[in-house]
Amino acid sequence: MPDVRRTNPGPDPESGDRRPGEHPPGDRPPGEHPPGDRPRGDWPDGGPDAEDGAVAGTGFGGSMDLATNEGRTLEDDPGPDGGGPSGRPRSLWSDAWRDLRRNPVFLVSALLILFLALIAMWPSLLTSGDPLDCDLALAQEGSRPGHPFGFNGQGCDVYTRTVYGARTSVTVGVCATLGVALLGGVLGALAGFFGGLWDALLSRLTDVFFAIPVVLGGLVLLSVVTSNSVWPVIGFMVLLGWPQISRISRGSVITAKQHDYVQAARALGASGPRMLLRHIAPNAIAPVIVVATIALGTYIALEATLSYLGVGLKPPTVSWGIDISSASPYIRNAPHMLLWPAGALAVTVLAFIMLGDAVRDALDPKLR
Amino acid sequence: MLLEVRDLRVEFATRDGVAQAVNGVDYTVDAGETLAVLGESGSGKSVTAQAIMGILDVPPGRITGGEILFKGRDLLKLKEEQRRSVRGAEMAMIFQDALSSLNPVLTVGDQLGEMFVVHRGMSRKDARAKAVELMDRVRIPAAGQRVRDYPHQFSGGMRQRIMIAMALALEPDLIIADEPTTALDVTVQAQVMDLLAELQREYDMGLILITHDLGVVADVADRIAVMYAGRIVETAPVHDLYKAPAHPYTRGLLDSIPRLDHKGRELYAIKGLPPSLTAIPPGCPFHPRCPMAQDVCRTDVPPLYAVDRGPVSGPGRGSACHFWLDCLEDSACRGPASDTP
Repeated sequence: MPDVRRTNPGPDPESGDRRPGEHPPGDRPPGEHPPGDRPRGDWPDGGPDAEDGAVAGTGFGGSMDLATNEGRTLEDDPGPDGGGPSGRPRSLWSDAWRDLRRNPVFLVSALLILFLALIAMWPSLLTSGDPLDCDLALAQEGSRPGHPFGFNGQGCDVYTRTVYGARTSVTVGVCATLGVALLGGVLGALAGFFGGLWDALLSRLTDVFFAIPVVLGGLVLLSVVTSNSVWPVIGFMVLLGWPQISRISRGSVITAKQHDYVQAARALGASGPRMLLRHIAPNAIAPVIVVATIALGTYIALEATLSYLGVGLKPPTVSWGIDISSASPYIRNAPHMLLWPAGALAVTVLAFIMLGDAVRDALDPKLR
Repeated sequence: MLLEVRDLRVEFATRDGVAQAVNGVDYTVDAGETLAVLGESGSGKSVTAQAIMGILDVPPGRITGGEILFKGRDLLKLKEEQRRSVRGAEMAMIFQDALSSLNPVLTVGDQLGEMFVVHRGMSRKDARAKAVELMDRVRIPAAGQRVRDYPHQFSGGMRQRIMIAMALALEPDLIIADEPTTALDVTVQAQVMDLLAELQREYDMGLILITHDLGVVADVADRIAVMYAGRIVETAPVHDLYKAPAHPYTRGLLDSIPRLDHKGRELYAIKGLPPSLTAIPPGCPFHPRCPMAQDVCRTDVPPLYAVDRGPVSGPGRGSACHFWLDCLEDSACRGPASDTP
């Protein structure tokens, strides 16, 4: 679908390509605009309705009409999802969604993530093997029919393990991100909105957490955990990750709070919670979403790092980090053991970071 | 009387000490009346308006005295909850820059409709119909379609109309317009002011027009209050003030307007700078810049004298100058620095 709003040559009230016969002014009450019967070619002059409204309605002529037409050409591009003039009202999110659907970066990353989610939920779709079914006789063997990625040091099928590893990585990434975004986002927003003591307290607390090096903290905290599940790792990530989001959320709430429209909403009688939820949050949430999406990739990488260091997940859990860790001593003899899980990890992280980028562009109303 | 501000005082705590932004302002606005509050930046005109609306940032701001009587109630004694129900419904405010005063992520229809949702508890659908009606009222063409547009899709004049529509939504009794046309170009300014004046007549609202543009004031205001260093220095019906100001500061302002018949001559400017609000000079705050200043001006704060004698005097005129009569009688009440012969 062509992007009319950007490629339009601009408003031209005197444009010669108008076809007044097609929509004689007055054959339809102003303010009503049946969808679908407006040819694209009518847009540059604002269409007969706008013309009618501008001239008959205001009589301002000249600059006002130009402004009106400018607005009309900028108006909604009636998409098939009902975002058009007759459909239900558009929101920031439906607009963002429309932008996203046209963004190849988003499409590629979304497809990758969808694929990843699929194999995380149903790994048996792609492989019939068992990741724990190993044969030491096949250790470090290369690719062969039925085992495209070869075997690892324990003689397990690398392909099967890579597919099954996605589940752990995606679970850890998604849960850690949700936890971090909720905890950090809400705490930061409240601190930014109310300010004062609560804010000072939270800010010092985030400073304390920022001072803890992630890997060192992981080595210390997770080495005492004996549980074999993913939850201690997720908990650790939320614990160390929320200050980052909280700081961003606090900052963007403070920025949004100072905007004139918040003051205007207050002057027109909006209450505190309404100001925060309706006027501040939608304007402050975009950076949180973007940072969280990008952070999701880094949490997956962090899980791999911690597992590599031996404090994250432990065998028999299947995870890319564990496989990378166990393959690294043999990188000269059998590089395939390292490259497949590492490649999967890299592509996954890249997909989430690309998604974050695309979402950032789509959520910025000023880029529209 | 719709609104009566009595001896209002507002301070701000700043790094350099306490800034006395408003030092005993009195003014009144009647239903259907337009009061223009005129003054330079920092003269306290916007702060007074914020105090009336109850949107002063507290802290650092602090109302240290006075009362604001709105339809007989003292707003300063109301609880925040009650105050909020007054805002928007009974008094509303129009801000200077309409683009930044509209929420960029909500459609104008949502924002207009919000007034009805918040104060009247309407459903979103009814609120939207009301929004279209309001946009029609402020003459936005094709309102039915444009109600779904975002603020950035409108031109500056259109956005200010939408702000006006928001302020008018619940038909308040008082509207405070804080420099409503400063961000607009001159032709659009006139249209917006005309619209505002017309709607004011129609709804019989009181209007406080805060501005530093003497040109805007002349056409629409009934009365003018001139502010300087947080005080009202002169108040008068608009034509009387233009004809014969009774305060040297007002005289200086009027002489600073570029005029066609002054072509080629240097433009008059009041000497010096407005005083710092953390160190307002003793006596008359204007005395360091005043061509008529005498010893008494350096020590005694002039009260707002009633201007009841001399040419163009009349009820409702007041001047905070010890020598208001001299100023009124001598049209050159600005001393030797003047460049007019």
